[in-house]
Amino acid sequence: MRRAAWLLLLAALYAACIAVVQPDLPRLWAGLPRLAHWLAGAFPPDFSGLPDLLRRAAETVAIATLGTSLAALLALPLALMAARPVAPIPALYHPARALLDALRGIDGFVFALIFVAAVGLGPFAGMLGVALHSAGSIAKLWSEALETADPAPVEAALSAGGTRAQAAAVILLPETLPQTLSALLYVWEFNIRASTVLGLVGAGGLGQELKNAVDLLDFARVLAILLIVIALVLTADRLSAALRRRLA
Amino acid sequence: MLETRRGLVIQGLGLSLGGQPVLHAISLDVAPGEVVALEGPSGAGKTSLLRAAAGLLPCTGTILADGSRPALVFQQHALAGRLSARENVLVGALGRLGFWRPALGLWPAADIAAAEGCLARVGLDGLGSRRAAHLSGGQRQRVAIARALLQRARILLADEPVASLDPENADAILTLLRRLAHEEGLAILVSLHQPDLARRFADRRLRIEAGRLQPAIALSGTLRA
Repeated sequence: MRRAAWLLLLAALYAACIAVVQPDLPRLWAGLPRLAHWLAGAFPPDFSGLPDLLRRAAETVAIATLGTSLAALLALPLALMAARPVAPIPALYHPARALLDALRGIDGFVFALIFVAAVGLGPFAGMLGVALHSAGSIAKLWSEALETADPAPVEAALSAGGTRAQAAAVILLPETLPQTLSALLYVWEFNIRASTVLGLVGAGGLGQELKNAVDLLDFARVLAILLIVIALVLTADRLSAALRRRLA
Repeated sequence: MLETRRGLVIQGLGLSLGGQPVLHAISLDVAPGEVVALEGPSGAGKTSLLRAAAGLLPCTGTILADGSRPALVFQQHALAGRLSARENVLVGALGRLGFWRPALGLWPAADIAAAEGCLARVGLDGLGSRRAAHLSGGQRQRVAIARALLQRARILLADEPVASLDPENADAILTLLRRLAHEEGLAILVSLHQPDLARRFADRRLRIEAGRLQPAIALSGTLRA
């Protein structure tokens, strides 16, 4: 009976989603020849002006790297405030968690859109967007690492007359370094992927080139850019995974 | 905590945890140079008593300490595994230092020398640079004792310090505690659940049951320093 109720609820949920999205297979069918035509036109990929594309790719890496680094600086105090064993002001624990949830809840893409309006087009706006969203993600991962660390050495420091701030700096941060660095690398890797589309809102990087090519229906160019994106993401993925393995 | 020159004196210590009374009007004393064993079954209140005496749990009653905050040696070492033995010992100096120097790893030279001295006192000369995670169980407990010594405490509270050690290491740790008491004048209150060890290493034995101190246990066969 209970299982039937769950199945009914699930069916109702799917029915509601389908009503909203209105999947239309005939429309997809009708669009397939157009997609096939574009795909055929994408070969061979157009790598003309490769230095420009590589400059844009470097811009993407720079946005992700600086954005992640700035995010880490913002995340450190947030993570400490949002980790129960070391929260210097227990009253700020819940507000800190709410703030990092809010930062995480808004996508970097949206932040970038806002920053483009505030500081103008270009990678700087993208970096700020990445930083703000990632600060929430990093702070959450770090606060969880701090909260799951062995509390005994911290207690020993407190019993020796140390303060919570001292215990956090001297014991918790070094003890959780493998987890926190691993989380940081994971977010950086994610940001490389995310930064490739920031150009769609004018926030620099490869996305800018991608948008121009799509607007011109230049699919050979689109394919070339996508291949560079894939190479970039795979390189970041492998590099990050190798570094995280060394930290484990 | 008031200052006295009589080692550790606890009078009428009471403790409740989560609304439940855990310790009932405990009164005891440990003289400088004396090792007192605290015995009792699991859940009797040994750990709570030591933690309350160390100031880690809010309690009622009076704790008179010998001019310094009592240092607590934890059952499972409570060391930071990624830190070196020396850095773990230096944690004992945190109460005397500000934030930035320890946070940046710029410990005062005098404290580093003192930490090395404490490691030598517990028989770990030359192992200061080794990561705590790479030390044996007995060595870790010695580092924990060295950390307590760096607190410059005259009173040492040890919570089941040999519970996780083999008999040989247990003997060595208790011999060390006994030496620190008899040669350096520390007042040591140590909880032990092995009566045999208590009989061999303590100058005096106390028993706690259901949060109440029982009449003194007669000494027999105690080692003499």
